[in-house]
Amino acid sequence: MKLQEYQAKSLLRTAGIPIPASMLASNAVQVKRIASEIGYPVLLKAQTLETGRGKAGGVRLVQSEGDIENVTNEVFRLVFDAQPVQSILVEKAFTFSKEYYLGIRTDLDQGCPVLRVSEAGGATFLEPESFLNARIVEQPVDINRGLKAFEIRNLLTNVDIDPSLWKQFISIALKLYNIYRQKDASLTEVNSLVVTHQQQLFALDAKIDIDSGALYRQDEFIDAYDPAYFGWIERQALKYDVNYLRFPGELGCVVNGMGLAYLTLDQLITMKSLPAAIIDIHGGASITSIASSLEILFRNAQVQALMINIFGGMTNCEVVADGLISSATNNQQKKPVFIRLKGTNDATAIERLKNYENLRFFDTTESLTQAALEYLKERQA
Amino acid sequence: MSILLNSNSRIMVQGITGRHGRFHSMRMINNGTPIVGGTSPGKGGDWCFEGNLPIFDTVRDCKEATNADVSVLFVPPHSAADAIIEAIDSKIKTIISITGSIPVHDMMQVKAALKESDSLLIGPNSPGVLVPGIANAGVFPDGIGFSGSVGVVSRSGTLCYEVLDTLKKANIGVSTAVGIGDDPISGVDFQTCLELFEADPHTEKIVMIGGPGGVSELTAAGYIMEHITKPVISYLVGESLAASILRPLFSHSGDLVLDSVGKKADALIDAGVLLANKLEEIPALLLR
Repeated sequence: MKLQEYQAKSLLRTAGIPIPASMLASNAVQVKRIASEIGYPVLLKAQTLETGRGKAGGVRLVQSEGDIENVTNEVFRLVFDAQPVQSILVEKAFTFSKEYYLGIRTDLDQGCPVLRVSEAGGATFLEPESFLNARIVEQPVDINRGLKAFEIRNLLTNVDIDPSLWKQFISIALKLYNIYRQKDASLTEVNSLVVTHQQQLFALDAKIDIDSGALYRQDEFIDAYDPAYFGWIERQALKYDVNYLRFPGELGCVVNGMGLAYLTLDQLITMKSLPAAIIDIHGGASITSIASSLEILFRNAQVQALMINIFGGMTNCEVVADGLISSATNNQQKKPVFIRLKGTNDATAIERLKNYENLRFFDTTESLTQAALEYLKERQA
Repeated sequence: MSILLNSNSRIMVQGITGRHGRFHSMRMINNGTPIVGGTSPGKGGDWCFEGNLPIFDTVRDCKEATNADVSVLFVPPHSAADAIIEAIDSKIKTIISITGSIPVHDMMQVKAALKESDSLLIGPNSPGVLVPGIANAGVFPDGIGFSGSVGVVSRSGTLCYEVLDTLKKANIGVSTAVGIGDDPISGVDFQTCLELFEADPHTEKIVMIGGPGGVSELTAAGYIMEHITKPVISYLVGESLAASILRPLFSHSGDLVLDSVGKKADALIDAGVLLANKLEEIPALLLR
C-alpha cells in the first residue's frame, strides 16, 4: 500500500529527518494562506500515487503571490488515473548544490532489506537511461542485526559526497531504516536528498510503501487510505481479504489462487475475450468472504455472467457452495452462473447446490471457460 | 521413491486445533498420512481425534515425545513466522507452511533463521508435499494422484492440482508433488526441488509449473542447463499479461512484470526444457 507524499513526509518529520516546511491544502484559499505563512518561493505539489507527477505538471514552482492563483488552479485541474487532484502539498522551495538518492527496499529474491544510494537523485532517477548511467551502490542488510553506521559509511566512500556530510547522511539513513522496520514498509525512499548552500541535508520528496499483509499491526495506515482513491468494490475486497482485478469485459470470475486467475486470463485472451473482473478468494476462504465476492459481481452492472472456478485443496468446496447459497438473493438480475467445483468435499458441495437456480456445472477449466464465452457470444448476437 | 518425505517420515501439525488445522489434520489421518502429534499452545496434555493423537504446547515437547521430523503448519499468518522459527529451533527437517500472507518483515527473519539451519521450508502458502500412497502432508485434494515416476513442482497450489488431475486422467503416476508457494518471499525454490528430484532414483521426469513475478524460473533454467540430466517439462501461466490489450490496464506495474513469463519461457527452452502451451499437452510431452 502506497502512502501519499504528505503522509510519508509526516513519518519523516516524526522520525527527525530534516524536511522543508510544508502543509497540506485542499482548496485554493488554503494554498494561498499557507504559501504566505511559509514564505515565497513555494512548490505546489499535487498529491497523487501515480508516477510521472513532475512531467505531468504536478510539481510547480511559484516565485511570488502574483502567480499563486493561476498555478493553483492549473494543478487542481490535473487528473491522475481518472482521479482529479484532491489536495496540494505547499512546500518551502530553496536552491541546492547537489542531490542524492537514498532508499531502503525489500529485496524479495534475496529475502532481506537492501540499502541503496546514488548520486543521480531527482525525478530522472526512474528514467531507464539515467538509471544505467547513475552510479548506484547497494548494501544488503542483516534483518536481525539491523543497519549499522559503518555499512552506510562503506557505501559513502564509493559516492561523490563531502566527508563533512557523512554524519548527517548516516543519521538520516538510520532513521529511514527505523521507519522501514517499525512501519513494516516494503520501500522507504528519499528522492532526492539535497545539499543546501548551508551544507545541510534535506529530504525533498519521500515515497513509502507499507506491506499490506502487515496492516493488522499498522492500523494507523488503514485510516490513511485515501477514501477518494477507493470505490465500494475495493473497500469490500479489502474488508473481506480477497484480491480484486478489474478489466473491461463482461464475465465476472471467481477463482481460488492466483495461478487459476492467470490461467483464466490466458484462456480468455486466447479466445479473444476479457473478463470484467477476476476475484481471487485465496485458499481456505470463509462463507462471508465468498458470499461478498459474489455480491460484488451480482451488483456490478458490467458483469453479464459469472464463472466460478474452484479446485479446492485448502478451500472446502462445501464452504463455496454455502457462500453461493447465502448470496443467491443478491442475484436480482438472474445472471447465469457457470461453475466448476472440484477438490476437497466436491461431491457433497454439488449435492447442496442441486436446487440452486441459474447454475451450470462443468468438469474442467477449459470446458467451463468455453461454455461461459459461448453464452456471452449468443447473448450479444 | 520420493523427495522431502518417505515412508519413515514422522509428521506433526502445528496449530492442530484451529479451524483449518483441525479440518485438514482429520483429512490427513483419514487418507493415511502418518501424523504423530500436534501443537496448540495451552492445550498440551490433551488428545484429539477421539483420543488418538497427542497435543503438545511446544514443538520442542512434541519432537521429544514423538521424534517428529516433518511439520505441517496451519498457524494464523500473524504468528506463523514465530511458529516456523520454533520448528527450525527444534531442528525439524522439513517445515511445510500451508499458512500464507505472512508479513514480509517476518519472512525476512525466517529467511535469516533458515540460513543458519539444516531445515528446509516449503511455502509459505504451500499446498503441501504429496507422496502418493505414503503421505499427503498438506491440503492436496484426496485421491488426486497415484504412485509413479514423475516429480511435480509448482508455485501455484491450484495449478498443481490441475496438473495432477491431468496426469491422473492420462494414467501417469507421481513420485512426489511439491507446492513451493507463490508468496513474495518463500523457502525452497524450484532449484532446490530440481536438485532433490535429480538425486531421487525413483523420479524419472520432472514437471515444473511457474508463472509471472520473481526470478525462480530463471534461476531454475540456468540450473537445469548445468546440472539436470532428467527430462524437464514446464508449464507457465500468465503469458497473456504481455498481450497488447492488457498493457494499458497494467500501466503502473511496469514492463518487467508483464514480459516476465515470455523471458522465462525463452530461458527454459534454451535450457532444453519442453514447454507445454496447455495443461492437456503435458501428458504427451511426458510420454515422448
